[in-house]
Amino acid sequence: MSPSHQAPGGRGVPGTRPPGEHDVGGQAFRDEEEYPSPVPAGPPRRITWRKLVPVPLALAAILALTYLWITGVHLDSIARNSLDDGNVRLRVWQHIRLTAVSTFWVLVIAIPLGIALTRRRLRRGAPVVTAVANVGQATPAIGLLALLVIWLGIGPSTAIIGMVIYAVLPVLSNTVAGLRSIDPTLVEAARGIGMSGVGVLAKVELPLAVPLILAGVRTALVLNVGTATLATFGGGGGLGDLITSGIQTQRMPVLVLGSVLTVVLALLVDWMASLVEVSLTPRGLEAP
Amino acid sequence: MSFWEYLGNRHQQLLTDAFQHVSAVFQCMVIATVLGVLIGVAGYRSGWGGSLAVTSTATILTIPSLAAIGLLIPLVGLGVPPTVIALTLYGLLPVVRNSIVGLRGVDPSLVDAATGIGMSRIARLCRVELPLAWPPILTGIRVSTQMLMGIAAIAAYASGPGLGNEIFRGIASLGSANAINQVLAGTLGIVVLALLFDAAYVLLGRLTIPRGIRV
Repeated sequence: MSPSHQAPGGRGVPGTRPPGEHDVGGQAFRDEEEYPSPVPAGPPRRITWRKLVPVPLALAAILALTYLWITGVHLDSIARNSLDDGNVRLRVWQHIRLTAVSTFWVLVIAIPLGIALTRRRLRRGAPVVTAVANVGQATPAIGLLALLVIWLGIGPSTAIIGMVIYAVLPVLSNTVAGLRSIDPTLVEAARGIGMSGVGVLAKVELPLAVPLILAGVRTALVLNVGTATLATFGGGGGLGDLITSGIQTQRMPVLVLGSVLTVVLALLVDWMASLVEVSLTPRGLEAP
Repeated sequence: MSFWEYLGNRHQQLLTDAFQHVSAVFQCMVIATVLGVLIGVAGYRSGWGGSLAVTSTATILTIPSLAAIGLLIPLVGLGVPPTVIALTLYGLLPVVRNSIVGLRGVDPSLVDAATGIGMSRIARLCRVELPLAWPPILTGIRVSTQMLMGIAAIAAYASGPGLGNEIFRGIASLGSANAINQVLAGTLGIVVLALLFDAAYVLLGRLTIPRGIRV
């Protein structure tokens, strides 16, 4: 507690009370009618202008420059076909949907599984998951996707399954690591005051793991925006379509627009996730 | 054709692809390590320099690799140049971040002691700080290499070298009898190579981490 909010009965030096307070026998008294207590200053704003403004401005500038460049260059019929307004909008929308759906599934699978793997009964499974996650890290996303396409056929759902498999492992191993890094004395203390296993999980472990889970959400989002570009190889659409058709037809405007939109979308998603991360982290767990 | 027959028939092609994959990743990793440590050395003393280096390399890492390659093609054409540039850029972040963290983590009293016995700035850096920061830097190199193995596979779409070509040949001939063999050979090949790289780094760590700070 800061000294300015010292409670009555505190050991404040007589004569140094804030305005409106008397010193009576070493105790502080306040005339509430005459001097209402000062509103305690709120904690510092977490989302500052420096976090809020530069990224969208830079991204908007990149988009504006690309737009100017595209309208300036000569487009032949092939390029115009690929850049037809509806097509670009469709690809952006497909990309966003692929990312959102796969991130949703990643979180729904990875976080409960991570919690389960840190419970006493299933704890022995954790090293297995870590080992699988390590091998999974070495597996190229494009290879995984291609195998799934051969197995399940082409289409957006195949792409989403591939993206989920690819992103579940890092988020899962992060969740396990985070729940494990919680100070065991806190869990013990909670058990000691008589909380049930569920109570400890809900009131102690999960709140302490919130920053980590949010970091997992961000990781999943960023990974998925990236792997969604590969969905095009499995017939899943997305912005990868523009990039690959730009490479195949040697139409640089198509290629550049597809790439720029992907870059802007990835940075935008990362930026939004970072804002969510900052604003949802419990106050008590903020870095000093 | 079974997978083993396929491997037997095409081992020449597969070995060439595997060799090119490893050599591209290895060479880019060498460039990325040198650049990354230099950036780390330049940035670790100043607060804003370090955060600028980490933020800008993290931004590169956020960009999907296919998009980065797509942006490089109009500038440098298809084939090896975009592959090398993309791999080097993506390899930078873990190395830069870990060298800054590692160099900042060196006990200041040791640096003081080195100054005290009359070592110059360069000698301090090369003989005290970098050896002590080497384990985290090596971890950064390992993480980077794993990532580059996968990105190199994607670079094959821009006519880059390596086992990615095998995967894309499989995708191009979807439905044919060999598609699954091609994709499997490419994917498993990359997994095996990545694990071999990892083992090599463990060995390198044994050989190069100073005896005094080995865990």
